[in-house]
Amino acid sequence: MRAVIPVWIGVGVAALAYPFLADPYWLTVGILAIFYAIVTASWTLLVGYAGQFSFGHVAFVALGAYASALLVKDGGWPIPLAALAAVAVCLVVGAGIGGICLRMRGPYLAIFTLAFSEVLRIVITTENEVTGGSGGLQAATLFHGRSDIPYYLVALGLLVFSLAAMGLMVRSRWGLFFRAIRENEQAAAASGVRVVRFRVLVFAIASSFAGLAGAFYAHYIGMLTPDIGSVDQMGLVVAMAVIGGSESLPAAVLGAIAVEVLVEALRAYGQWRLVLFGALLLLTMRFARNGLLTLGWEQLRRALPRRVAVR
Amino acid sequence: MTALIEAAGLTRRFGGIVAVNALDLVIEPGELVGLIGPNGSGKTTTINMLTGHLAPSAGHVHLRGHRADGMAADRFATRGVGRTFQITQLFGRMTVMENMLVPGLARPGSTRADATPAAWRHLEFLNLAGLAGLPARSLSGGQQKLLELGRALMLEPAILFLDEPFAGVNPVLRDEIIVMVQALHAGGRTFVVVDHDLEAIQRLVGRLVVMSRGTKIADGTVAEVREDPAVVHAYTGDA
Amino acid sequence: MTSYLLVQAVNGLVIGIIYALIASGLTVIFSILKIVNFAHGEIYMLGGYFGYFVITLLAIPPLPAVLVAMALAFAVSVLLERSLLSPLFDPRTERKGDYGILVTFGISILLRNLAIIVFGPFPLRPPSFWPGTLVVGELILSWDRVFAAATGIVILIALLMFLARSAWGQALNAVSQSRESAAIVGINDRLAYTLAFALGGALAGGAGALVGPIYALSPSMGLVPDTQAFAIVVLGGMGSVGGAIIAALLLGVSESMFVALFPDPTRGLSYAQAFSLVVLMAVLLIRPTGLYGRAHAAME
Repeated sequence: MRAVIPVWIGVGVAALAYPFLADPYWLTVGILAIFYAIVTASWTLLVGYAGQFSFGHVAFVALGAYASALLVKDGGWPIPLAALAAVAVCLVVGAGIGGICLRMRGPYLAIFTLAFSEVLRIVITTENEVTGGSGGLQAATLFHGRSDIPYYLVALGLLVFSLAAMGLMVRSRWGLFFRAIRENEQAAAASGVRVVRFRVLVFAIASSFAGLAGAFYAHYIGMLTPDIGSVDQMGLVVAMAVIGGSESLPAAVLGAIAVEVLVEALRAYGQWRLVLFGALLLLTMRFARNGLLTLGWEQLRRALPRRVAVR
Repeated sequence: MTALIEAAGLTRRFGGIVAVNALDLVIEPGELVGLIGPNGSGKTTTINMLTGHLAPSAGHVHLRGHRADGMAADRFATRGVGRTFQITQLFGRMTVMENMLVPGLARPGSTRADATPAAWRHLEFLNLAGLAGLPARSLSGGQQKLLELGRALMLEPAILFLDEPFAGVNPVLRDEIIVMVQALHAGGRTFVVVDHDLEAIQRLVGRLVVMSRGTKIADGTVAEVREDPAVVHAYTGDA
Repeated sequence: MTSYLLVQAVNGLVIGIIYALIASGLTVIFSILKIVNFAHGEIYMLGGYFGYFVITLLAIPPLPAVLVAMALAFAVSVLLERSLLSPLFDPRTERKGDYGILVTFGISILLRNLAIIVFGPFPLRPPSFWPGTLVVGELILSWDRVFAAATGIVILIALLMFLARSAWGQALNAVSQSRESAAIVGINDRLAYTLAFALGGALAGGAGALVGPIYALSPSMGLVPDTQAFAIVVLGGMGSVGGAIIAALLLGVSESMFVALFPDPTRGLSYAQAFSLVVLMAVLLIRPTGLYGRAHAAME
């Protein structure tokens, strides 16, 4: 870890300098990349570390976004308070989902969470008097200046907070318990790990971070449609996690940033981009299962002289 | 003296099959009990019920005098009931040390500062200390069995259920395991050992419980049980 | 009012037969490859487009067109299985269940977006197989629906007979129970995997081709039937084709009744999509092994 500290400092400096150097278009891309990074990292915590295969993660992004937007619009709440409340809603609902899914494993859990996500999307679309339906919902924006730099800094702050919190969790005994549950739930129980509690907990935590990202998104973009909770969005997050490396938080973040940048860079190709990501996802799964970035990191480690090797 | 674990009228049905039928069993602290019987006699199902991995269809389980049936497996574990499985259940992609730390840190009130040295101690006892940094699934079959035992020991269990510890184990390792269990037993732990290796069981245990078709048919010293006609019949009679 | 309900119920049966085709395909794939195919709806969608193009470009009559669409779906599935799903057969692959989920999810994204590019994002209305309607007393049914139902029933019967009587059908059954044992007695299990995936795809493709004139085609038409198929497969017991068929008919009829009886008609239609999803969630909560299921062993 020690040899890598200069790298982290470099990354930090670059991240802070970025908004002042980038043009407005790429600044927006950077902000969206950070948004996806938070969503992807929290999905990785849930699926990669704890092994809880959820395809409903973006439902919490949508829930957080709409809850926060509606509390501000219809309830007159100040944005930070509304966002906090939205996160709390996602925490409770996430815990609820984790709790009712306790007997489900693998594909059943995936199907259930996918169904939940679709039902939520349908409800949001149908109840258009409240939510604006497919026509969209206008949300109050956090800042009113012309530059997006404040948004970037807020997003960066949220990302650092999220990664720090999730990183701490992963290194602590909770991280051990999550991984134990993923590896072998029966052995985990026989080892005294409170499986029920931790499954509910990881769902609650991951969903809260997704909701946080969603609330930020709402008050940044200012316009919400039910599509933020669609299956294709979930697919994008999955692609980001898999391409980056689905069992490592930093890899997930990098995967998200890389894919989002690619999405924008290839904007001219329109629909082909999603085809590309689908293909990239498939090729990565087929030939580099731990993720392309993880693969690249491994190659890099092997290429470097021994002394610098990490851990 | 309160029994350590007590089963009263313990029954378990699967669909139409009665796997365990009204079993009464009392294990006192400090015992070394063998649980044997032909295949399908309900031994593993009984252990599952006594360790919280299966809820009984009827009957009670008492742990140190308190009702425990229906309690989750992890609560049995943190209350001092350790077990190993017929098919070794490890955290394959986690290291040997991590496998030990999971139960070590799951114990209420434990810290890394005490769990880590305890893990080393147990790994040394099991001759696995040199493998601490390796992923558990890279260990040989015998080493994996020992690791599973080590994991159970991290719970500081008062009682340990070993489900077929000698299955598929070479004679050298088998003798090592017998010596280890004897040492642990001498140190004050209670054991219930299920196995088909009758020779190993007889060398190890003082008391033998025999099950057949879900019912307890004999319960006594090795000598008594060996002569029991019901036992002989169960093993040699109708399949 | 009763005639309206009767018509709705019969429509529900027709759609139930379509669901049964989709769901039995999913069941076959699940019982042999042991994975949930998240791309199943997209093969269904491709079948719909294949049928449409075969009819408009080659001017083939409806029934052969459906069969050609099924054959094309079969071929696409073989291609996908051989190129992307071969790790499922390899003992060195870890966590096959996870792999199956992620890869088929990826395939669904790929196919759906490819379809948007190739076919355009807007719905396409294929011409009727047979214009006009059948009127029997109070019952009014378009000929397209009659054709779809009749063809669907024939395909299902053929499937059941294939699985029960033919050599390969029994081979598939053997592999679904124990791949190792099947291989020992000389069954080519690798081929069985491909056959199962392709057969499942053909069934989904056939359903898509039949449904075109009734419900229109669009690249995302596979999403909802996909989750409906999951609902059915879980309801019917993952691994039981007969159970899937019965569950499919039940779901089709009850969904139709739900729409017919829902107080607010505009909302009703929108929530119809959610109906099968809610049923799915409820069944998974109560009995993850379904109503008829063999107690299904955990994936690897």
